[in-house]
Amino acid sequence: MTISKMAWLGGVALAAAVAWAVPVAAQTAKPAQIVVNASGGAQAAALRKSFYEEFEKRFGIRVVDSSPPDMGKLRAMVTTGNIEWAVTELNVEDAMLAQEQGLLEPIDPKIVDRSRFPANLQGRTHIFTRSAYSTVMGYRNDIFPAGKRPTTWADFWNVKDFPGPRAMQNSPIDNLEFALIADGVDKDKLYPLDVERAFKKLDQIKPHVTVWWTTGAQSAQLLIDKEVVLGTAWNGRYYAAIQQGAPINMEWNQAGIKESAFVIPKGAKDAHWAQQMLSVMTDPKLQGIYANIVTYPGLNLDATQYTDPKIQPFLPTHKDNLSRQWWQDVDWWVKNGKTMQDRWSRWVIAK
Amino acid sequence: MSAGLLGLRRDGPAIAMGTVPLLFLLLLFVYPVARLLSFSVEGGNFAHFEKALTDGLYVQVFLETLRIALIVAAICLVLGYPLAYGLAIASPLWATIGFAFLLLPFWTSVLVRTYAWMILLGRNGLLNRTLLDLGIIDQPLALLHNRTGVIIGMVHVLLPYMVFPIYSVMRRVDRQLLSAAEGLGASPTQAFRRVFVPLTLPGVFAGATLVFVISLGFFITPALLGGGRVMMIGVQIERLVRQFLDWGLAAAVAIILLAAALGIAALLRRLLRGDLTWS
Amino acid sequence: MVEPATGSADLELSGLIRRFGTVTALAGVDLAVRAGELLTILGPSGSGKTTLLKAVAGFEMLDAGDIRLKGRDITLAPPARRNIGMVFQNYALFPHMDVAANVAFPLEMRGMAKAAIAEKVAWALQTVDLAGYGARLPRQLSGGQQQRVALARAVVFDPGLLLLDEPFGALDRKLREQMQLEVKRLQRRLGLTTLFVTHDQEEALILSDRIAVMKSGQIEQLGTPEEIYARPANRFVADFIGESNLFRCRVSAVADGMATLTGEGGLTLRIVAGTLTAIGSEIGALLRPERPRILVPGETAGNMAEGEVVEAVYLGESVKYALRLVGGGSLLVRLPFKAGHGMLSPGQRLRLGWDPADMHAVPWS
Repeated sequence: MTISKMAWLGGVALAAAVAWAVPVAAQTAKPAQIVVNASGGAQAAALRKSFYEEFEKRFGIRVVDSSPPDMGKLRAMVTTGNIEWAVTELNVEDAMLAQEQGLLEPIDPKIVDRSRFPANLQGRTHIFTRSAYSTVMGYRNDIFPAGKRPTTWADFWNVKDFPGPRAMQNSPIDNLEFALIADGVDKDKLYPLDVERAFKKLDQIKPHVTVWWTTGAQSAQLLIDKEVVLGTAWNGRYYAAIQQGAPINMEWNQAGIKESAFVIPKGAKDAHWAQQMLSVMTDPKLQGIYANIVTYPGLNLDATQYTDPKIQPFLPTHKDNLSRQWWQDVDWWVKNGKTMQDRWSRWVIAK
Repeated sequence: MSAGLLGLRRDGPAIAMGTVPLLFLLLLFVYPVARLLSFSVEGGNFAHFEKALTDGLYVQVFLETLRIALIVAAICLVLGYPLAYGLAIASPLWATIGFAFLLLPFWTSVLVRTYAWMILLGRNGLLNRTLLDLGIIDQPLALLHNRTGVIIGMVHVLLPYMVFPIYSVMRRVDRQLLSAAEGLGASPTQAFRRVFVPLTLPGVFAGATLVFVISLGFFITPALLGGGRVMMIGVQIERLVRQFLDWGLAAAVAIILLAAALGIAALLRRLLRGDLTWS
Repeated sequence: MVEPATGSADLELSGLIRRFGTVTALAGVDLAVRAGELLTILGPSGSGKTTLLKAVAGFEMLDAGDIRLKGRDITLAPPARRNIGMVFQNYALFPHMDVAANVAFPLEMRGMAKAAIAEKVAWALQTVDLAGYGARLPRQLSGGQQQRVALARAVVFDPGLLLLDEPFGALDRKLREQMQLEVKRLQRRLGLTTLFVTHDQEEALILSDRIAVMKSGQIEQLGTPEEIYARPANRFVADFIGESNLFRCRVSAVADGMATLTGEGGLTLRIVAGTLTAIGSEIGALLRPERPRILVPGETAGNMAEGEVVEAVYLGESVKYALRLVGGGSLLVRLPFKAGHGMLSPGQRLRLGWDPADMHAVPWS
């Protein structure tokens, strides 16, 4: 009896141990590979050199990259339950919208340690802020030589002193803010945006904007080809063009800095490994490697020390740059984004 | 007249042979369209359709889309007909070279094509610089980042869709008919106009319908070459689906587009049926 | 310039030469077609007859030579200016035009007034027995009807010349024979000078006023069907037209207008000497299969042969026999079939005879 009792006890203990261990085992059952979806192009190579290689080394799981970030596809995946991505990049407004619609897995704080991130970013429950980027002004430095350079959005709007065709993104995001700053609003008192005033100001520049660009690649190319002489683009795009020797300067003053988000689709079958991928992305050393390649800094406050000093002036988070920019108010855009986009569509095609 | 002459006899093998393509069509076309339809009436009413048909934005975009599709089809026809003729009468070697050039856009990414157009047609492009240097113009022509740019880009991509149907019909035209016409007193021009052109009309209508219908759904080219000012309905649908996640409205707009495309194709067929009897 | 033998020439071809690379399609063709005559160009494929037709129609340019139609030099005229009606092998009707529009086409091209066109079209369709078919499309017509439309279209504008390019090839035998007669009748009635191209010697014999037999881009012989059949100018014509027995012989003696020929296997033949005078010269002796007759026992003839039936083919009114001759060699004969006599069967022997005048000599080389 005792033997059988002991055996029984042992069995219970074993069962308990199994019960405790099984979920972990289920979570950690290793897939051969996971898919990380991001912007592609030069960024894909940088992600691989920094985070993916480390992830593969650490866990022995191959990382397959795909692109581009696509809200529609994310929603289709989650609604059909056929989720291909473990992690995907999204711009932060889209990520917020996705969170609102219940398309995202929460970030597991036990795995993803964001204690060395800025306080406001630690509280994002479903969104991992992997990087920051800025929409900056760029111009041909052969057209606008030293002493005659545009430095403010008011200059961008000033077609008399700074003549020539311009390019801006085909989106209300940033452009409403730029218009308000050009019209004299303090860059730190932009929100809530005075939409009427912004569109009125945009009316003035509209005839001089020959291209409303849609892709990042297009934005820098327009300056390289001298199709326009003044434009806006994400800082990394201009950096790449400058590296290639294009006669382009970028202006950090009054630029709009914002978060770039990585998220985990709701119900992702490799969610545990997705959390591990985000954890790898918090590593300041790896963030430094990444920033050195594409000038999009990670947001671990310790990352700066691992970043090449020559690269630092090109980072939106560099202290000299940061103070001259303004942070995009994600909440305002999540609340008003759709209305603004709709209004923008009508405005941009109106004669 | 026996039943066999009136139509296909509905016996076993015919049904079996028809089943597979029918299933394919059902699976790949009918089902997605039905799903689309279900999205468009997700609220249990036709609010999405109402918005798509009354909202000034969508009406304007629909009209612009139709206008561009018509212009593109017309230009493709004007360019494609002589091109198809050239290929049809060319030696096999030249025809192959011609086709390779014609199909080049299919092998090139839309971005590369766009940059190529910038190099050619941009403000500082080859064409503008040449014209400026020659003193023909004193301001660069706006050939890109507007409707002209979109039309140029679309014609470039869609030209093969016009050329192929016309070419294949031209190749089937019995050359002896042209000889016959000339023997009967027609000049080469008259023989071409009175005999060759009418006989190639089925190809012309097939090509024009194809180009027109494909044009209606274009979205990458207008987004890249339109400078943001040219909004075609495909761009709008893409925004609704990807950016706004408003699938209901997107579905309604897509269904209206589909209906318009089918309607126009059917109309063309009907209008021309009487004239196409010889083919 | 070749002067026509008799009557006035409507179409005169002189010295036509056409080469395609190393191939000579026309090697100096001279020909005069008389007004109202139906002249057939007969030849095997590759003989140059199609090139000749195309050259006359204006679809093929010449390297050398002149073409004159009713006295007008049309060598360089485009097809539209030649005023020649042509019926193509597959008719070449315009599939998108109805019958009336097809027939009206040449008149429209000549700028004729609408009312006059309607009248002419009605006349032409009447002529080919297709009145009331004006509104049909070509594909709604039978092969024979399509051909009539093609014919109507080719004659409606009163052409100076009618060209027929193997027009009966696509028709079945019965319809072909019927159409041949109809075409011939129409051609006669309208008095149309006609050049007809075919490879079918039977058709040529039935239809033609004269036949020009072509080979390798040259005219081998020009003559009436009877001349061509009975007195071929050379071995090629003899062989190409109709069935023939051709014996390779040498002239061994000439006396009293008769020549004695010696052939292979001890064959001896007698033939009307005509121009044969050179003893020892090599000739071909042509005997048409329908000439020999069966000799009753004891009967003799100028030429005699004995042989054994190898094969018999029943042809209705006659029977064709292939014989093996006693001295070796073979003979093809066609004997009238008489009810009650029955057919000879293989293995049976028979004796045949024919007159010296039944034979015709052609140069061997």
